[in-house]
Amino acid sequence: MIVEARGISKVFPMPAGPVTAVRDVSLGIEPADYVAIWGPSGCGKSTLMHILGCVDTPSTGALLFEGRDVSSLPDAVRSDMRLAKIGFVFQRFFLLPMLTAWENVELPQAEARVAPDTRRARTAELLEFVGLTHRAHHRPSQLSGGEMQRVAIARALANRPVLLLADEPTGELDRATGEQIAELFDRVHQDGTAIVIVTHDQTIASRAGRTLVMRDGRIEREESARLSQSYGVPR
Amino acid sequence: MNPFVFAVRGLRRQPGRTILGIAGIAATGALLFDMLMLSRGLVVSMEQLLSGVGFDIRVSATHATPLTGPPITNMAETVAALAAIPEIENVVPLRLGGAVVDIGKRSYDVTFMGADVTNRRPWTLVEGRDLTIDRRSTMDPPSRDGASARQAHGLAAILVNRNMAQRLNLRAGSSLTLRGACTTNSSVPPVTFHVNGIVEFPFDQARQLTAITSLKDVARTCGDTAQNEADMLMVASRQGDSPTAAVEAIRRARPDLSAVTNEELVARFQQVEFSYFRQISVVLATITLFFGLLLITVLLSVSTNQRLGEIAALRALGFSQKRMVSDVLWRSALLVGAGGLVALPLGLALSIWLDRLLQTMPGIPANLRFFVLEPRALIIYVALLAVTMAVAAVYPMWTVARLPISATLRSEVIG
Repeated sequence: MIVEARGISKVFPMPAGPVTAVRDVSLGIEPADYVAIWGPSGCGKSTLMHILGCVDTPSTGALLFEGRDVSSLPDAVRSDMRLAKIGFVFQRFFLLPMLTAWENVELPQAEARVAPDTRRARTAELLEFVGLTHRAHHRPSQLSGGEMQRVAIARALANRPVLLLADEPTGELDRATGEQIAELFDRVHQDGTAIVIVTHDQTIASRAGRTLVMRDGRIEREESARLSQSYGVPR
Repeated sequence: MNPFVFAVRGLRRQPGRTILGIAGIAATGALLFDMLMLSRGLVVSMEQLLSGVGFDIRVSATHATPLTGPPITNMAETVAALAAIPEIENVVPLRLGGAVVDIGKRSYDVTFMGADVTNRRPWTLVEGRDLTIDRRSTMDPPSRDGASARQAHGLAAILVNRNMAQRLNLRAGSSLTLRGACTTNSSVPPVTFHVNGIVEFPFDQARQLTAITSLKDVARTCGDTAQNEADMLMVASRQGDSPTAAVEAIRRARPDLSAVTNEELVARFQQVEFSYFRQISVVLATITLFFGLLLITVLLSVSTNQRLGEIAALRALGFSQKRMVSDVLWRSALLVGAGGLVALPLGLALSIWLDRLLQTMPGIPANLRFFVLEPRALIIYVALLAVTMAVAAVYPMWTVARLPISATLRSEVIG
């Protein structure tokens, strides 16, 4: 198992009183999983994803990453873990505007001290995978939204993560471009990377093998792909 | 991509803001650099001027600043007594007075000096011939026969400075008639001199007209009876002997006189006259640094706050806290470094302009410089900028270090 959450909760202290974003969630992500976390805005999807991605720590409960409890690990160790094993795709892409597509993809590899030759080969491979070889030397401002998200996916895959986390990856895209991005995630999954996608788009959620439906910080139910289809979500 | 290159690319991303930041640092840096040059400039310049004269001790009648107190009486005997001290190589008595040159309806005030020189002179000859050496006039009590630096044609010799030569159209060989104005009730007839040469006096003011002749001829021109007086004795210690040893010897031989070395004189100026400039430079340098600090802090803070989402995303991707903090520090270093470099020529140009302006002030020697570039000023400048760079980056670095990744990513999406 890549990630295992054991009864995790997340409480944010607020001026008006503590707000519980995630309540007693237990789940596991296997290497071949393609999981969608689906639910309305503010139900705690992103918070759960950030905890699963070792960006945040649970207030209570335990989070095991490859069998190791990461809840109490120092920030530097969790950073190294994210760099080497987890890829992130964000709704707003967050590509570095001063770098080209190539450089954006190369950046996490440079941070992980991958040798330059290996880095170049991997970057070329990834840009080809996302179909942007011809846009390699364009800056984000010269790319469309879909292209930027494809570069962001390539960047997330740069260090060959075991887990790819995507937070509303189609939230800023039109339907057709969103479909293309969803297809790209399918291909990433087929290549053997576990994926967790946070979305409130049922179309995207329906492509996953498992869908965790969240409401008020809890996982209300878990549906398999078959159930999702029968639930009326188009595949 | 190392943090340095990363920071460079980051700054190039917003060229307008970066250029403004560098320009701001360049302006404050130039002022800071000037203030550092000013803080010791007068002292260094005064040291250079005093040592350039060729005499390392000044002897006066009292402890007042040389040429501001009463004269030394029994000058000839005093000169002879000091010249006999083994640590002393040369003694030149100097007298300071005033004279007027009348040309047509115009009159020119002249600083009129007298000195009996032997082998050393407190001036530099630039054209013509120097005053004739007349050992009798230095070592012996002056006689009243007028046998001083007299020329073959019977006129007394005089040297004038460049200003005077240019203003009165004088050259070596010209005649010059001076009317003594040493005392208020002077009514002696004018004396005509033969201009032997044109010289430079180290302490001349920008527009000062200066002439120098023998002590005897000064007395004759001024018409006073105090012929055996000098306002100051300029003393050169013997090579190999320290001026301090010579001063101690003078104090033992003539405790009634006040002898100071150049170093002591500079220290006295530093404590009194020049201390105002040092205080002004410290205050202005502090204010300048404070503004520089504020400028960089504001620039870095604004830039960091605009990039919070980007920083949070990079942190989520696995970039360490240390790496992101070092990026801020590098940005600060680049801004301050680039601005600081531009500030150097800017500060130098500004100091030259200010120096020219100040040198024209009345009472200021034209060769005295307020702003002097010395390694010490450069080292302090670099050190202060380095501290500014680090301190200015503290708050933005703290912001980055404490950035809550998850909350920032959420707020960026909501925003």
